[in-house]
Amino acid sequence: MSADNTPDTPDLSTIQRWMQSVITHPDGVAAGVASDAARQQIQVDASSIESLIGRSQSQTSLERLQIYSNAYHARLIEVLMGEYPALMHALEEEAFVGLATEYLQVHPPASYTLSHLGRAFPDFLAQTRPARDDEDGSPDWADFLIDLARLERCYSEVFDGPGIEGQSSLQANELRSLTPDQWLMTRLIPAPCLRLKTFRFAVHEYASAIRQNREADDDFTTPRPTFLAITRRDYIVRRASLPEPEYRVLCSLIAGRTVGTALNVAVANHPDSCESLARQVNRWFRHWSAAGYFSGWHNSDIHE
Amino acid sequence: MNRFTMSSPRLGLPHLGLGVGLRSVHYPHLLEHRPDVDWFEIISENYMDSQGRPRSVLDQLAERYPIVMHGVSMSIGSSDPLQFDYLKKLKSLADAVKAVWISDHVCWTGVAGRNTHDLLPLPYNDFTLRHVVERIRIVQDLLERPLILENPSSYVTFAASTMPEWEFVSRMAEESKCGLLLDVNNVYVSSTNHDFDPREYLNSIPMERVVQIHLAGHTNRGTHLIDTHDGPVIDPVWELYRHAHTLSGGASTLLEWDAKIPEFPVVHAEVLKAKEYLTAALPDFGRRGEPSRPEDLQSTDLPLQRTVPHPSMVTHVEVE
Repeated sequence: MSADNTPDTPDLSTIQRWMQSVITHPDGVAAGVASDAARQQIQVDASSIESLIGRSQSQTSLERLQIYSNAYHARLIEVLMGEYPALMHALEEEAFVGLATEYLQVHPPASYTLSHLGRAFPDFLAQTRPARDDEDGSPDWADFLIDLARLERCYSEVFDGPGIEGQSSLQANELRSLTPDQWLMTRLIPAPCLRLKTFRFAVHEYASAIRQNREADDDFTTPRPTFLAITRRDYIVRRASLPEPEYRVLCSLIAGRTVGTALNVAVANHPDSCESLARQVNRWFRHWSAAGYFSGWHNSDIHE
Repeated sequence: MNRFTMSSPRLGLPHLGLGVGLRSVHYPHLLEHRPDVDWFEIISENYMDSQGRPRSVLDQLAERYPIVMHGVSMSIGSSDPLQFDYLKKLKSLADAVKAVWISDHVCWTGVAGRNTHDLLPLPYNDFTLRHVVERIRIVQDLLERPLILENPSSYVTFAASTMPEWEFVSRMAEESKCGLLLDVNNVYVSSTNHDFDPREYLNSIPMERVVQIHLAGHTNRGTHLIDTHDGPVIDPVWELYRHAHTLSGGASTLLEWDAKIPEFPVVHAEVLKAKEYLTAALPDFGRRGEPSRPEDLQSTDLPLQRTVPHPSMVTHVEVE
């Protein structure tokens, strides 16, 4: 660096670190050039920047750099809007862009793929949520937004993650040869795309309404404990709202517990007769087979 | 001696004809109609990790069509170390879909562990040249095939540059023995933004190393052009394509359309216009049956912040 604080010939690494600091600054390139991060690399200011970035016949150096700054923020926010369309609708564009811009400052992209860009957005919303209005801790608007973000991120992961297309899923009749004791000691293998999620609102209905361009009425934002099984068949994400007892049994099964242990969860919470519970369980298994929640089973006492 | 020493035009790689960039909005049309397209180019990063519908569609198309992989995150010019995990995944996908070649851009995308997801320009000087050539050699050894690199559109120039882009690109290709993806729209965009003659650029490029040519639309912001890939190719770019075709003797040609994407037949028809430039008797624009966009019309219908240059890659999740 020369004595008058203009660059001599900064090396490639220095130029790149400087330019990245400038074009990713949330307040634009003028603020970026003046930022500590940029000035730690190259000490230029708006008046001397042509010693580093040339001007064209029709644009100043700062105007040219601003093209990259605009592109950086617009491109990444567009990606987040694409991943979180229902959240964007709920927040409306201006608020969404504000939150997304803050998020990108805390979680700048580092991966080669943009599919990782929004991975931490739901947690970011949870960590930066405003204080609750109600002292009783009941779910509020911020909780609705956080739940919605978690649902949409889950959709993304299920959509492009591992699935069972091209494979056969577990069918109920495959288990008919088992004795009752063998059945109770059997463990079911969940499909790799199956996710079980609880939410404080029926955010899946809101998200579907937005994705299908339907009107989302205010009922969606009324707290309603929701238990979802989210999976994928034929490369399309499917979600089903479950009664809590069924959800609890499914959670136990995908945690690797035996059918017997999982059903004990249902027995403990089922106020009706055993016959009623048995019919209920039978219905659940038919539903799980049809939905492809499980890819197989194993029982250490049986050679399958 | 480098194993990729050239023995024939296009590094010996085939002339695939007229191709189209594969975009997810066209999946249903492609699977249903199996259109008569010469080849497809994919954005590599959209498929490297996919275990869902994008990869399934790609596998189906790869059974019928030649596939070329075009990346946006290699960051060959970055001062950060090369990402070897990324390169291994790239090679794995190329082997799986029998990619005819792998391309990326003469640019850097980030530094200090970050990826801006933009194709950022380099200062063109001897230091950068040595740096890029060395990295190309490493990548080519790892990929076990020549790397094909594209000239980017750019919006700034550096005082640290000591040579024009065409000299840098030419020396880079000769010294590293890599191939070139000549984007004639990018040449046009940069020539307007940096006040140089696009024909001088084309005349200086070692055309025998040009494996592929890109065509695309761009946006005129009045004071500058932005490489948005959001419309048809304008006539001055077609003229450059004609010139490149004459100089090179022909190379696989692909149309990119990444924003405001129309139905597939419209995109396909746009690249098929190139046939008019591949014949010996090249018609004048005035006699062509269906001129596209004769002038580079200024677009002011979007705020500047919404004019997003390529690349921008969004895969829309399909939910029941």
